Amino acid sequence: MSNSARFRLVPQLETYPWLVSFGQTAPGKAALLGAFAGGLFVNRVNYWLEISLIAAVMSYLPTWRRLLTSVAALYWLIFHHTWLNGPFLSALAKAEGLRTDGWNLKVLFSGILAAVFCALAVFFHYARTRRSSFAAKRPVLLLVASYAAVLAAAGLIPLHGMTRLLAWGVVAMTAPYLWYFAYALKDASSKSSDGAILQFGTLQPFWGGTNVPYPKGAANLRTIEARNPMDLCITQLKAIKLLIWVVILRVPSIALQVFVHGEPRQTERFLGILRSIGLTGWNVPNMGVPSLDIALHHAAVLPVPAAWVSVITHFAEVLIGMTMSGNLIIGCCRMAGFYALRNTYRPLEARTVAEFWNRYYYYFKELLVEFFFFPFFTRYFKQYRRFRLFAATMAAATMGNMLYHFLRDYEYVAQMGFWQAVKGFQVYAFYTTVLGLGIGISQLRSQGRERSEGDARWWRRACATAGVLLFFCLLEIFDEEGRAFRLGEYLRFFLRLFLIPV
Amino acid sequence: MNDRLVIREFLQGLLNRKDDRAVFSDSDQLITSGRLQSIDTLEVVVFLEEKYGIDFSEVGFDQSKLDSIDSMMALIEQK
Repeated sequence: MSNSARFRLVPQLETYPWLVSFGQTAPGKAALLGAFAGGLFVNRVNYWLEISLIAAVMSYLPTWRRLLTSVAALYWLIFHHTWLNGPFLSALAKAEGLRTDGWNLKVLFSGILAAVFCALAVFFHYARTRRSSFAAKRPVLLLVASYAAVLAAAGLIPLHGMTRLLAWGVVAMTAPYLWYFAYALKDASSKSSDGAILQFGTLQPFWGGTNVPYPKGAANLRTIEARNPMDLCITQLKAIKLLIWVVILRVPSIALQVFVHGEPRQTERFLGILRSIGLTGWNVPNMGVPSLDIALHHAAVLPVPAAWVSVITHFAEVLIGMTMSGNLIIGCCRMAGFYALRNTYRPLEARTVAEFWNRYYYYFKELLVEFFFFPFFTRYFKQYRRFRLFAATMAAATMGNMLYHFLRDYEYVAQMGFWQAVKGFQVYAFYTTVLGLGIGISQLRSQGRERSEGDARWWRRACATAGVLLFFCLLEIFDEEGRAFRLGEYLRFFLRLFLIPV
Repeated sequence: MNDRLVIREFLQGLLNRKDDRAVFSDSDQLITSGRLQSIDTLEVVVFLEEKYGIDFSEVGFDQSKLDSIDSMMALIEQK
């Protein structure tokens, strides 16, 4: 059956010629922006009005889109800098006996951030103008090594007072920008690279993101920008589709919270909806299964079937949550006129472990591929074709993944000390090792399979998908970035699922 | 067969494996558009290494250089 003939929960709005024509007119643009603002509001996005207003300005001034992206990034940095960890630095200042009231700290933190940006601007300029230098050829290696060195020094050297605050200030102000800087520096070596002002718009852009850039920096934005009014309209219709998907996904997300976990706040909200439509006096039954976090630490008293339900619902919640948050970010990015690929794309259709990983968290996977996989793949073990692929996969999915999270979660180093933070990383290290092995083996198995994917029988495809989902569902148990518990506790829980007493 | 046709045939083979039989021009961006994934990109890398002797550790790896037939031709000519 062709794609166009397949039933779709959300219609392909961008394929309706009348809608695409209407969306290019002034009232049509206003209608699209209104639908977008409504979508953000319904999905309870903070600052929905400001995001919509920025998208509106960009829609009506397309030739200034990139510059407006930078202006919007500056506005967000000044007024909505949620990614900067102020509470961590304030607590540190207090612990060091420094004054935390008034403007002192705000001025200090702003100064540190300005210094970090200045240092990057110098590095960017150097990499752009001296292309044959080592710094230009390996800018990301230098950037990440420098950040890691500062983090290690802050964690290992006994610093006190203002010196300690300054060291951790540099770490905390750099961490949320690290991989954004990496994409900017990578772009510096390109002949068509953008200047510093346009690069700034890609550093924690107004459409949101995590420490993982969505999409992949200025180089990516240049290639996905809408070129004409029709492109823009189609991109914006696709943005609205993503927001509709978020609304739809709220249903299973709330259902799991209410009927499986009996989460009080969601249950009360659900009862409120029932009451609002005249259904009073209802009682909502629930399975009373705890979340995975609670189940893990009460494994001994939890019946095995309940543990399985907890594991499966946790996986479903992670999958739904990832799709919803990614759709919101990419929806805003598309509304601004950039046709970015979705972060999560039909993960339930994956038939191999590698394919699932690609469909589930696209931009993180791309980060690992860009900065770990290909640098390794193009340099080492060239004469061993299959081992080369496997080793590069381990370098990305295991080592790169571990490094990304260790560098991101600097608070553990500050709180526990460097070596304790390394020791406490054992659960996540186990997770990334199994993930790397799984993807590596999956890729080796896929290599050389010339047969088209569509040729496999339906039951073979269903079995393959079920196997992949089971692998990731069980692996998700170990996707723990905290440092409080040991690996043994997670392994005990895992073995109990298969009735193996430990 | 000229280089453009050789590359086209190779890329068509990759797309066919994914049941993607839509036509594409020499300038169409296959990675940016999502038609080719990273796993495909590495097959492109191996293809260019083996067929044209390109050493990516020398020229620097950049996915945009492998995004279309045109960009791959530029890479080959630059060698």
